[in-house]
Amino acid sequence: MTTHPTPDGATDRSAAAIDVQDLHKSFGDNEVLKGIDFHVGHGQVVCVIGPSGSGKSTLLRCVNMLETPTSGRIFVEGDEITDRDADVDKLRSRIGMVFQQFNLFPHMTVLRNLTIAQQKVKGRKKDEAVEVARANLAKVGLAEKESAYPAHLSGGQSQRVAIARALSMSPDMMLFDEPTSALDPELVGDVLAVMKDLASEGMTMMVVTHEMGFAREVGDNLVFMDDGVIVEEGDPRHVLGDPQHERTQSFLSKVL
Amino acid sequence: MASPRQRAARLRYVQYAVLVLVLLAIALLADWDQLKRAFWDWEVVKAQFPDVITIALKNTIIYTACGFAFGLVLGLVLALMRLSSVGPYRWIATGVIELFRGLPALVVFIALSVGFNLAFPDRQIPFGNLGIVTLALGLVGGAYMAETIRAGIQAVPKGQMEAARSLGMSHSRAMISVVVPQAFRIILPPLTNELILLTKDSSLVYILGLALEDYELTKFGREGMNTAANLTPIIVIGLCYLLITVPLSIVVRRMESRAERAR
Repeated sequence: MTTHPTPDGATDRSAAAIDVQDLHKSFGDNEVLKGIDFHVGHGQVVCVIGPSGSGKSTLLRCVNMLETPTSGRIFVEGDEITDRDADVDKLRSRIGMVFQQFNLFPHMTVLRNLTIAQQKVKGRKKDEAVEVARANLAKVGLAEKESAYPAHLSGGQSQRVAIARALSMSPDMMLFDEPTSALDPELVGDVLAVMKDLASEGMTMMVVTHEMGFAREVGDNLVFMDDGVIVEEGDPRHVLGDPQHERTQSFLSKVL
Repeated sequence: MASPRQRAARLRYVQYAVLVLVLLAIALLADWDQLKRAFWDWEVVKAQFPDVITIALKNTIIYTACGFAFGLVLGLVLALMRLSSVGPYRWIATGVIELFRGLPALVVFIALSVGFNLAFPDRQIPFGNLGIVTLALGLVGGAYMAETIRAGIQAVPKGQMEAARSLGMSHSRAMISVVVPQAFRIILPPLTNELILLTKDSSLVYILGLALEDYELTKFGREGMNTAANLTPIIVIGLCYLLITVPLSIVVRRMESRAERAR
């Protein structure tokens, strides 16, 4: 099932892959998210941009409950992950996550990085897990690295392995937390190419990024956040090309 | 006027001269025959073998290994309790750690051997002396290792736990598969140091009153010294301790330099 956003960003909510309702998050006295409402449709690529400290990473981390929201509700594929009785581990196994710092497991080979959660969480047999892992390594162009340890990979290779690790869980959607921000400039392209392929295969993606080119080219929807609220959202070409809000204009004038 | 370089050279010569003079003084002043009779009497040395190896060294290694193994498990459990979100677990672990880290190992030995019999007159600690040694060394070693292990777990970057959780692993699964293995790689050197300390603490078993076949190195050396009225047995068992601890030290240094290179 695919939904298409109307120009104002509204979609049939019952069909949303990610649905965030009135989300608040405070760290102590510091309110980082001040009432966020937004959603990601099936197969949509939503990019979230904004200055550092705007709450965009916190929003992403709330979606798979790495941060516990102070209030508000989040639905993932119709299941409420913020429900007290929700099986958060099980829901998380359907949400792939890619981190800025890769977070590969350094004491395991690349192949083991990709198989361990398949076996321990999904209960797949070893043969099946290895098969899935090899297919995903090939997909990110690193089939020959399966017996390497993460310390011997470049940043770009590490991030592609991290993407393959998340994909090996056969997730319904992928979250990306500034996936290229820790990379040397010449390595960014490889990672973005893998993400572009994923998007073209119809993967639902929520991407916190500073890569405006990627957002413009691949994103179906662009969200600009500042100071804990969504300031502006819509078609990336409109938001980037003709920002309506003064804060968006000021941010984009600095980064573009 | 001497240049700084000449002055440095002269200072070096003075240091060498002092060293040579001290060595000469020792060599000339000492009564070598007397020293040799007291510290390294070949007849007494020979009399120590083979028992010093087959009984004493063997028992020291067994006591230490059992105590260390128990201590490692206990240390890991205490470390995880210290990091628990359940308050009482943290309090209990902190209490146990402070208690057994603060008490001399000898006191723990006495308390266990005498105290257990007083508390449970009709029961015994399984495996006799070996059981008591394992418990006592394990409690003392475990209390120390708990803090080391906790530090190791906290030294693993937070992102590792987050990545494991994001893949759907439970907290305990992530601990077992991802965090603890990395923590142990970080703390291998301090853990090996703890093993060296326990090797020496195993000598405290003498307080239990042992039969000959249960003697470990220190007890064996003391008995030998009393029999021979000579320090040679102590020298022999001292060398046996070094036989255990020096290779361990070398292993630790290797691991540390390898960890240094990997950075």
